[in-house]
Amino acid sequence: MHSKQEHKLKIFWLQGLTCNGNAHSFLNLDYLGELLEKIEFLQHPLLPSKYSLSEMAKCKTSCDILIFEGAYDSSLKRTGIFVDKILRYYAKNAKYIIAVGTCASFGGIFKTTSPQTNSGILFNEDKISGPLEEHHAKIINLSGCPVHPEWLGFTLNMIIDRNKVVLDAEHRPQELYSSLVHHGCTRNEYFEWKVDANHFGEKEGCLFYKQGCRAPMTHGSCNTILWNGVNSKTRSGTPCFGCTESDFPRANFFETKTNMSIPADAPVGVSKRAYLTLTGIAKTFHIKRLEEPLIDYKNNT
Amino acid sequence: MITKIILEQIEGEASLYFDMKENIVDFVTIAFPHFRGMEKMLEGKNALDALVITPRVCGICGHSHLLASVRAIEDAYKNSGFAIAVTKKASKVRELTLILELIQNHLKWIYLVLVPHLKELSGSEELLNTPLKGAYGASLATKILAIFAGQWPHSSYMIPGGITSDFTYVDLTKAKSHLQKLTEYFETETLGVSVEEFLSFESCKDFVSIESDFAKIEQLLIDSGMQKKGHAKDAFLSIGIHEFSHAAKVKGTKLFKVASKYVQTQDAYAPDEKSYAKNALYKNQFYETGPLARCMAKEFKLIKNIHRRFKDSAYTRVMARIYETAHLLVFCKKLLAEIDIGDKSCVESVPLKNISGVGEGVVEAPRGSLIHRVEIKEGIIKSYKIITPTQYNIASSTKENPSPAQQAMINLSQADAKFIFRTFDVCSVCTTH
Repeated sequence: MHSKQEHKLKIFWLQGLTCNGNAHSFLNLDYLGELLEKIEFLQHPLLPSKYSLSEMAKCKTSCDILIFEGAYDSSLKRTGIFVDKILRYYAKNAKYIIAVGTCASFGGIFKTTSPQTNSGILFNEDKISGPLEEHHAKIINLSGCPVHPEWLGFTLNMIIDRNKVVLDAEHRPQELYSSLVHHGCTRNEYFEWKVDANHFGEKEGCLFYKQGCRAPMTHGSCNTILWNGVNSKTRSGTPCFGCTESDFPRANFFETKTNMSIPADAPVGVSKRAYLTLTGIAKTFHIKRLEEPLIDYKNNT
Repeated sequence: MITKIILEQIEGEASLYFDMKENIVDFVTIAFPHFRGMEKMLEGKNALDALVITPRVCGICGHSHLLASVRAIEDAYKNSGFAIAVTKKASKVRELTLILELIQNHLKWIYLVLVPHLKELSGSEELLNTPLKGAYGASLATKILAIFAGQWPHSSYMIPGGITSDFTYVDLTKAKSHLQKLTEYFETETLGVSVEEFLSFESCKDFVSIESDFAKIEQLLIDSGMQKKGHAKDAFLSIGIHEFSHAAKVKGTKLFKVASKYVQTQDAYAPDEKSYAKNALYKNQFYETGPLARCMAKEFKLIKNIHRRFKDSAYTRVMARIYETAHLLVFCKKLLAEIDIGDKSCVESVPLKNISGVGEGVVEAPRGSLIHRVEIKEGIIKSYKIITPTQYNIASSTKENPSPAQQAMINLSQADAKFIFRTFDVCSVCTTH
């Protein structure tokens, strides 16, 4: 028992400027209990921990994995100590550093109010100029507002099992961020045939054309690894806001910017011309099945 | 002598400055050190963007912020002459998902805050630290919430006119099944009796035959004298309009009408440290808000009875939060049964650019009454103000006019005071939005 305890990976979950949403999202993890058998939280903002944050802030110990939540703000203190100091101290000896959420990854929501001073720990939006630049090789970004619990669960298990986590150019695991949020959306058929949603609150229609959906321009697995195990924004009729990307938060979340009534942004990797051609052709068809409600509860009883 | 204690794990941290006289708290001031600037962030933005940004004020009660936001915008529609009549279906689902957020909050509070700190205070070996019970129960509640809202935390599925989700009977069936599981889990793991039986209790004497986490918590609170400590103002506010609660101002046990327009904020009194929190007052007076306030306003027999014996003690406050959890679980079942799936999820409304005016949204969030006030000009936010429950409960004021939490901590040992502080279920991030 004793030796097993010693092999548990020691994790320190430190917070910058945050809403606590990533810490709470993590508690939704289906296999949280199993995971906690394999790791030890030196400090977590919600879960029982070996040390208090004040004790950790004294910078006398070390951790295997440093998890950072929230935007980096050089003037921010926690328990009276500059977060900058705590962050740099533990980053030095940690084997991995995980930025959870878009604030820690790119700056996110809490960069907006103080764009001059706040950033992610490695990236400042899409540029590598954060405070932990020198540790770039061991930083994994798990962007998303908040982080999906399974994305973090996956990453921790990969590290525990000593598997290599393959990253994209923005330091995000390819397994989680190589496909687009659009992938697996239940409205895909409407996207294929360019049938837009007439208004909110209907299961029919694609939200890309009018309602502001960013899913075809956003990397993430929200529609394949479902939220809370059951759903996603787009499945429940809410447009994707692009929260895993470095330019989050954008503005006018519920509207699609269009040029001549075609979305101004084309899906990632698709040329505008190809997209316009395809759209033009698809729109010439009228598929009655896709223009009617799927289920008529009122008239079929 | 003033001693500074930083309290952690309250959705952030707070600094408590204790003025001790012979090991007894003579006075205490409270400072919240972090500033995030959410209100400023909203100025100049499309009003609908508030539905994406304000949930991100808080990782544990963002859904309450979403409802407050959508209510504020719909109120601005109304004040601009374009009132929106949300369907019954949409308003019931909004109510349902809000309640589920309250439930997840309370379950986490019981197992991640109350149990460990009550153990620490009492030195009890019998009550076990089981954080996973809280996390599991909460994750079941958010699973049901996500069936309708897409995800939790940080959903934006409520929009002016209703909700974005067009769920099916398959979804409803799944939701009912998860709710059944969650209710049974709470009955087995926490209460030790069925929610119906628990809700039928009229006095704390009815607890004697129960063996459960609840029974142990109740006993330890009594053993720690919490029925005699932690009294606040004995004045309560429950302002949000909901089916599950009753809007009222309560003084002792007397109910009065309440109007959100009387809620104002003032700077906190925190002489030892810059605090970014503001105090919230009603007609210039401090009130307690949250589950105890809601139970008093709703005149639940058991809580009224406990209040008759022990007034607004820390014991009463804790009992109210647990009682409310049972009440909300039963209420969820009722709401799920009442949803008419054939109803529209979202009704049409005029384009936002036609909207100029002010609006207010008031909601009962997990920790009490939450207010959003917005001023919109041609669809664009001119100003936005958020008043959160912790601003009432954990206001920091002068010795002559203490806030609920300050009053509750005076004349006690520091250990008791720190525990009692947490019985208010403090939210640091909400307070310093």
